[in-house]
Amino acid sequence: MRQALVLAALALLPGIGQAIYFRDKVSWQSPIPASEMVTVAQARAWDGNAIWVDARPDAEFERDHVPDAVPLNEDRWNELLPQFLATWSPEKRVVVYCSSQSCNASREVARRLREEAQLKNVFVLQGGWEEWLKWRK
Amino acid sequence: MAQMAKVKFVWRIVGLVVAGVFIYAGVVKAFDPIRFASDIDNYKILPWAMSVRLAFYLPWLEIFCGIALIARRLYVGGLSLLTALVLIFLVATIAAKVRGLDITCGCFGHASQNWSFSGHLALDLVILAALLALYFKVTSENRLQNAV
Repeated sequence: MRQALVLAALALLPGIGQAIYFRDKVSWQSPIPASEMVTVAQARAWDGNAIWVDARPDAEFERDHVPDAVPLNEDRWNELLPQFLATWSPEKRVVVYCSSQSCNASREVARRLREEAQLKNVFVLQGGWEEWLKWRK
Repeated sequence: MAQMAKVKFVWRIVGLVVAGVFIYAGVVKAFDPIRFASDIDNYKILPWAMSVRLAFYLPWLEIFCGIALIARRLYVGGLSLLTALVLIFLVATIAAKVRGLDITCGCFGHASQNWSFSGHLALDLVILAALLALYFKVTSENRLQNAV
């Protein structure tokens, strides 16, 4: 027990150090700021002014996807990013979705688009593909 | 005598492999704590504020426990903590599966994002078995030493 406590305490030190280093880079209260989320209704209202990005695996994209959506998943990021950028224009909003509310891919793709591709106006679709299906019915 | 040395060597290798797995897993996650926070959040068990704090702490705990296993200092403590971590992770994974969550385990950062549920489970069970075996071996040795 004492040994476990010592190890637990030792691990705190670099953990705290790293948290201090990242203090301005991480959102501490919410995984995605509300300003970066978008509902299906809002995104649909943007109509032709939005690019839909499907962050799900290729097989799921091929099965079905939002009309005119562009596939961009992390498995083939380097290959798909140029294809996506060819359809992108600065005035368009980017709506990224994955399979459901609990999936992670859309957050990651949105984060990489903001950080690596330096894009603005990138949003994550609340509820993902499942929510879209409810609206399509 | 040679047989005993061989057995001891095999146990040492098991310990080193387990330690290596946790150090690797810890380092990968420590490099990208924000992603790991998302992975923890995906389990929908803890609030985000807790997930993000754990994401800065758990990788280092894995690394320190792994080092303890290699250095054989605080060895039992390291084994106990790692066993507890794997057990908690197993329960969380099964609970997520039962609730139909589409989770990324995040155990090995980006490398494990496409692993299947059964793949995760199998690896965790193997690691858990190795940890328990190491734990019972060392505690029985300690008991024998204390008896002598």
